[in-house]
Amino acid sequence: MPEATSLLSFPWISASALAALAGAIGIWRCTDPDRARRSAALVLAGVVALLLAAMLEQSRAVDSARMAEPWGGLFEVDAVNGFPMLLYVLLALVTVLVAPRRDASGPFMGGVLGIIAASLLVYAGRSLALIVIGWWLTALPFALNGFAGSRHLRHHRSLLLVHALAGGALTAAALMIGPRAPDFDHASTVAMVLVVIAVALRKGIFPAHGWLARTFEGGSPLAGALFFNGHLGALILLRAESTHLAATVQTALHYLNWGALFTAVFTAFLMLGETKPRRMLGLLCVSQAAFILAGLCSAQEAGIAGALLLWVVVAVASTALVATYRAVEARFTGVEDGIAMLGLAARTPRMAVFFLVSGLALVGLPGTLGYCAEDLLYHGALESEPLLGVVLLLATALNAIHLFRLFSHLFLGRLAAEVPEMPDALPRERWPLTLCVVLVVAGGLMPHRLVQLREAAAKQVAEKLGLEHGEH
Amino acid sequence: MEFLTFNQLVQLIVATPGAVFIGLSVAWLLGWPGKEKVVARVTAVTYIGLTILVAMLAWKMISSGTHMVTVDLGNWFEIAGYGFPLSLMVDRLSLPMVALTIVLVGLVGSFSIRYLHRDPGYFRFFLLMHLYAFGCLLLFTAGSLDLLIAGWEVVGITSVLLIAFFQYRKAPVDNAIRVFGTYRIADICLLLAVFLAHHWFGSGAWAVLFPGEWPNATHTITGPGMTFMAVLLVFAACGKSSQGPFMGWLPRAMEGPTPSSAIFYGAISVHAGAYLVLRIEPLLQSSPVARYLLMFVGLTTAVLATLIHRTSVDAKTSLAYASMTQLSVIFIEVSLGWTTLAILHTVGHAIVRTAQFLRAPSMLHDYHRMHAAAGGHLGKVGEQYEALVPHRVQLWLYSLGLERGCYDALVDRLLLHPLQRLARQLAVQKNSFTDPTPRQPAGETPSSLKPHA
Repeated sequence: MPEATSLLSFPWISASALAALAGAIGIWRCTDPDRARRSAALVLAGVVALLLAAMLEQSRAVDSARMAEPWGGLFEVDAVNGFPMLLYVLLALVTVLVAPRRDASGPFMGGVLGIIAASLLVYAGRSLALIVIGWWLTALPFALNGFAGSRHLRHHRSLLLVHALAGGALTAAALMIGPRAPDFDHASTVAMVLVVIAVALRKGIFPAHGWLARTFEGGSPLAGALFFNGHLGALILLRAESTHLAATVQTALHYLNWGALFTAVFTAFLMLGETKPRRMLGLLCVSQAAFILAGLCSAQEAGIAGALLLWVVVAVASTALVATYRAVEARFTGVEDGIAMLGLAARTPRMAVFFLVSGLALVGLPGTLGYCAEDLLYHGALESEPLLGVVLLLATALNAIHLFRLFSHLFLGRLAAEVPEMPDALPRERWPLTLCVVLVVAGGLMPHRLVQLREAAAKQVAEKLGLEHGEH
Repeated sequence: MEFLTFNQLVQLIVATPGAVFIGLSVAWLLGWPGKEKVVARVTAVTYIGLTILVAMLAWKMISSGTHMVTVDLGNWFEIAGYGFPLSLMVDRLSLPMVALTIVLVGLVGSFSIRYLHRDPGYFRFFLLMHLYAFGCLLLFTAGSLDLLIAGWEVVGITSVLLIAFFQYRKAPVDNAIRVFGTYRIADICLLLAVFLAHHWFGSGAWAVLFPGEWPNATHTITGPGMTFMAVLLVFAACGKSSQGPFMGWLPRAMEGPTPSSAIFYGAISVHAGAYLVLRIEPLLQSSPVARYLLMFVGLTTAVLATLIHRTSVDAKTSLAYASMTQLSVIFIEVSLGWTTLAILHTVGHAIVRTAQFLRAPSMLHDYHRMHAAAGGHLGKVGEQYEALVPHRVQLWLYSLGLERGCYDALVDRLLLHPLQRLARQLAVQKNSFTDPTPRQPAGETPSSLKPHA
């Protein structure tokens, strides 16, 4: 395990992971939807409090140094993983609160907690073994059929297949590298290829770009969005230094760069012929999330910071988008037919606003955090590889058009005759979605704090991977 | 002590519509129903106040002989030596545009209070109008390309949302998507120019790229990147002003309510492109390729737009093409270096066109009144130039005008349909092992991308 400079006062992260795991097991068999939702929300609120304590303690450390846990030191928190970990749990809380009643079963809520517990191992694990175990476990709720129900299980096969392949590749890479950082030999070359495969599969890089859209097609897309928004593929790259993968990752970044670029444009292009809203949402998320990898690969501090900010934007905005879509779909199932315009803005104007604002943030409208993130990302990308910046611009332009198409399909046009009376955003939907919208808008108007927060992480990543001096 | 300094005035002018937009939006999100009376009063007070402020700014600038006011607000965000400059600038080019924006938005707001009375979208219209005013003011006072693009995009999105204002009809929504697509493609040029400015010249600030006071500013852009950047900016301007390859969107934008057509496509929004080429005029004078491109685009669009204008049968479409023609002439003026004439033309055209758009709904009534006043003998007008060309050519030009220059047909046939076909084929044939979903029939086109009827 790499040396940590100091210890936390309490094993906050172990406690978080255990709380989430216990919650997952306890809630899985719950049959009352309201009770399941309440319990899951309480557990997640507790996890948020624990992680916040860990993050605050770490932020007070000298030079925001990495801090390990006492009593065994299984986990650590630093500038790179602290904020995304907290954000991820908050998004899980939003998912739990906004999930419509039909999704709020015991297995669904337990599954969300299970994903969180497993993801915490990947986010904060101090050893590669712990990270690999966490990586595998994140898909367990899907394998146990927690989210889909038997009717939609086939839609989750793609996710499970991709996850198994990615997990296998990462496990093999971990076994080859072992507990020490390797020199650049044959074993590390093979390990590098395996890491590239694992990251590409998990992040939906071409040709594995279709699994998220496929997962979104069946059952609740909220679970698929939560699984995807962990961005564990990118996280593995960021935590390379902690996992002895640093030398491997430096080379892997170069190949992933072009894969990410192609994916961003290709999925944006594919959407030209797409009409199904769920698939469009999936492809949109994959396309925008590919920018994160491209930014990380830009080898510039500004580009890396842009990628880290975009991570926040993609996670928050796509969760809000998918949650809004799911909430509307629960009111009127006809939204799945992607040809006609439904005019739902007449019935649910606030939902329309949530959808539009979070969507525009996702594609980088000025005044939102997405714009700041993309500005930094393009700047870094142009510095390192001008073509990269041009291609990303094209993908953003196409994605914005698709987003507006999707918005038009759901919310504009004449109100379809078969649309029933329906309530606008309920309080349990309104407040979490407002929080998401406020984060991306206020973060865009006053991005200084967030940029500063991610700047430390960007510096750390650039230093550890030796990117600033073109060492890769 | 001064009552309001230059800095305070500029900041107040730019921030006020944005603050009003945020205030109204938050109130609505928290459950306020958006009462007509309150919205009307807030709008009236806002634009009366802004008119006074801009008059004060103009007076102070003139009386103190100040030609340029710059407000440096630091960086919006910064990291590793790269910062997003947040600076505002008011000079002899932006002051008329700022004043024009405030006065015309105020007038159109006043008009709309009655015109949209009891319309279900009343609140939405005013909300978007305030956001639009904020975007325009940001665009015209931006001290850098970076900030200009923020205003540029805000203007674009409000424009699209107002085109789809009558959301219960399909055509406005389809047209809004088409316009949005055109905007986004054109905006790529502007975004690329901004990033290249940083990459090649180290800054996107006007003060660095074009030192000196407009119109006597020079430029520091040199090398092979100069022409490329100038061409990118010309294309971006074409996108906003519906010129050359992007000329198809303006008539589609007429689907919005008349007040928004007036303020966007008669007055301010379409002139943003003209503002951009005026701003980069020193660069154009050093780059013959960009200058001749601008002239060529202006000339061809002017000819085609005036032809279509003369054959259009509805008032708003006719006005849209007439606007396009005048914008082409402004582009030509800029390419010739006649900047003072161009800005006078811009201001004059914006005012006249706004009045025409606002009168458009009562055009028939006006015509009948004129007809009666003339004793029922209104003579034919506007055929002086047509008579100069042979009859066969007249017919050919007439059919070209009726077909709207075949612009939409060409774009659909050569660009949109092949791309859609390719996307569908890729979606059907892709052998991605992770996505074995059965596809929709190959001939099915997303309704929003179908060609305009």
